[in-house]
Amino acid sequence: MSDDLKHTISDEIKNNKVLVYGKGTKDAPRCGFTMETIAFFNQFGYPFEVIDVLEDMPKRQALTELTDWPTLPKVFINGTFYGDTDILGPMHERGELAPLLDETFKTPVR
Amino acid sequence: MITPIELTALVRRALPDARVEIYDRTGTHDHYNLKVVSKGFAGLTPLDRHRLVYRALGDALGDGRLHAVELTTLTEEERS
Repeated sequence: MSDDLKHTISDEIKNNKVLVYGKGTKDAPRCGFTMETIAFFNQFGYPFEVIDVLEDMPKRQALTELTDWPTLPKVFINGTFYGDTDILGPMHERGELAPLLDETFKTPVR
Repeated sequence: MITPIELTALVRRALPDARVEIYDRTGTHDHYNLKVVSKGFAGLTPLDRHRLVYRALGDALGDGRLHAVELTTLTEEERS
């Protein structure tokens, strides 16, 4: 993984409290799971960023190595990797996600 | 494309006791909903449980036979 790529990714993670690496953009998702993830975060009313990596194979590879997670989308909250909605959905059902987001948006980005 | 039988076999290579419920989301044999129940998940975080299953499915994900999986990972106790 190149240093440039590493820095780009770590800046993106640092600068976005809720960050989704996915296929397509917020307005034009190009994958059903990315679309579901956008709909999922829309319900909380907090801002989130979607970064399209569909065509960027080196970046996808770098992200996979960084997270040890092979698939997209990949979700980061407050600098921590949370997997995808398969993990976040059950967290939300257990009532754990709203407090995490409340806390995340109360404090400055790490 | 990959069959449910092949998917189950891949999962059981990593988790021999696994019970695997499979639902073909799109009818195209490459987008599946997988529910895996195994003792092997005990003590693992949800992230690590999913990593374990993704690693087991690695070949099929890598060569494109399997495009996407929606995953639920449970122990026997959590299931009941």
